[in-house]
Amino acid sequence: MDFWLSYATLASIYVLLGLSTNLLVGIAGIFSVSQAAVFGVGAYIVSYLLMNEVTSFLPAMLVAAVFCVLLNVLVTLPALRVSGDYFVVTSFGIQLLATAIFTNWTFGTGGANGLPGIPPADLFGKTLDSTTQMVELCVGAMILGCLAFWLIMRAPFGRLLRAIREDELAVAAAGKNVLRAKVSAAAMAGAFAGSAGGLYATFLSFIDPSSFDLDASILLLTMVVVGGARTLAGSIIGPFLLLALPQVLSLIDIPTTIAAAARQLIYGVLLIAFMLFRPQGLAGEKL
Amino acid sequence: MSDYLSATGLEVSFGGLRALQDCSFTVERGRITCLVGPNGAGKTTIFNVITGFLRPDAGTVSFQGTPLDGMKPQAIVAAGIARTFQNLRLFVDLTALDNVVVALPSQTGEEPLAAIFRPLHVARAQTRHREEAMQILQHVGLAARAGEFVRNLSYGEQKLLTVARGLATGAELLLLDEPASGLSASALDQIMDLLRRLQTEGKTLLVVEHNTRVVQQIADEVLFLHQGHLMARGTPEQIISDPALAEIYFGGVI
Ligand SMILES: Nc1ncnc2c1ncn2[C@@H]1O[C@H](COP(=O)(O)OP(=O)(O)O)[C@@H](O)[C@H]1O
Ligand SMILES: [Mg+2]
Repeated sequence: MDFWLSYATLASIYVLLGLSTNLLVGIAGIFSVSQAAVFGVGAYIVSYLLMNEVTSFLPAMLVAAVFCVLLNVLVTLPALRVSGDYFVVTSFGIQLLATAIFTNWTFGTGGANGLPGIPPADLFGKTLDSTTQMVELCVGAMILGCLAFWLIMRAPFGRLLRAIREDELAVAAAGKNVLRAKVSAAAMAGAFAGSAGGLYATFLSFIDPSSFDLDASILLLTMVVVGGARTLAGSIIGPFLLLALPQVLSLIDIPTTIAAAARQLIYGVLLIAFMLFRPQGLAGEKL
Repeated sequence: MSDYLSATGLEVSFGGLRALQDCSFTVERGRITCLVGPNGAGKTTIFNVITGFLRPDAGTVSFQGTPLDGMKPQAIVAAGIARTFQNLRLFVDLTALDNVVVALPSQTGEEPLAAIFRPLHVARAQTRHREEAMQILQHVGLAARAGEFVRNLSYGEQKLLTVARGLATGAELLLLDEPASGLSASALDQIMDLLRRLQTEGKTLLVVEHNTRVVQQIADEVLFLHQGHLMARGTPEQIISDPALAEIYFGGVI
């Protein structure tokens, strides 16, 4: 029972990350491999604010979201200058840089040992310390995130982003500000990733750099590829499916020593197989 | 005297190739001006310069007395000049209607916060925009195809749609890059009819066109471009009857 609750909690958090990645990579066409870094910054900010009793949970989330909006805009600005292929390399560098900071800035992040003892979330003066309360909070956040994504995509903004992905030049010729639309998409993606980070930290009460490294960024991309780009359904299905994978692996009897490697292997195979045979994912469109 | 659109001394080179050389011309308000000249003469390059997609190495373009130097494409559209592309550049994964809606100016909900926090307001505005786009489609004769994805439209319908998209911007000067090339006789009649109607509604058109029959039928004035330079201007009859121009244009066969 407890297993299902924590699965639902974690999957909800990853849906927010899936929405973030989908907005940036799938919709705005900015091929970022550093979304886990932004996720991490959100997590560390909320942890710091709660552990030092600077603010309560909601203001901490707000600070994290705002900071991650700025960060994501900053991080994706190069994408608006250099072309796609070059940006992947830039983004790769940003991810490595973030991991280096998370691992070595011991004073702020606890370094490789991580930050233990992060307080649970609280809402309106009430501490949410049971698993049930936490799952309610995260599922609630997921629903709000999905609603926001749905509203964005059906509004003129969504149509504009789709048109930009098809032909930027034609959008500019129609009198639209392409740069502004892309920056807005990056900003939204940052808000989603930062909020997910805050939820993640308070849910696990312990974070370390391994949750926010390059593997994590690639996992996010895999979720979008498997679920399907540019759709709400795809952003939900991908995370729920891929997070179930470790559990499925634990059912078949393989030694824990190779479980992690097996998981990476399967993620890799899934990524290749979907790109080759089903580029639109399970419920989406081609990346 | 103030010209509606005027280009003065435009120079553009790509590496060693001089695509425009001391190119100057004017376009008068309310007219259909055809831009003709052999392939590679620099017609599309002129469009790219006027619409802000290409900085000329020298020279200037002004519109209604205001220089457009250094303005971004979106600012030039806002000033009232829109263009179509020779290779169409439609949004093929969107419907015909959405292709037009995208180009309508300043829509509520074009930025994410309004989309999230004022959904009802945005939805109402969207209904209005769709009606507006529908009227434009009606105007170009594509109303029946509104819900169709672009890839299911015929080539002629796609060409009409590029004009519809230009109209949606609200621009009063339309630059059309070969709107009639590759069309069947009936599609040709349809587009010529549309261009004439747009003129009577007060639009000014600058049209790149190869087909002399089309030029004769729609043009008030013809600009003849050769090797990036304006060689001649005049009525269609004057241009077509000039043997020197025919020599350049058709290599002697007319
Ligand atoms: N982006 C570009 N890079 C290099 N050469 C170009 C570019 N655009 C146009 N040209 C060259 O400039 C000349 C004029 O091209 P263009 O304006 O497209 O001619 P037209 O539309 O009259 O057929 C051609 O020789 C063409 O090859
Ligand atoms: Mg051309």
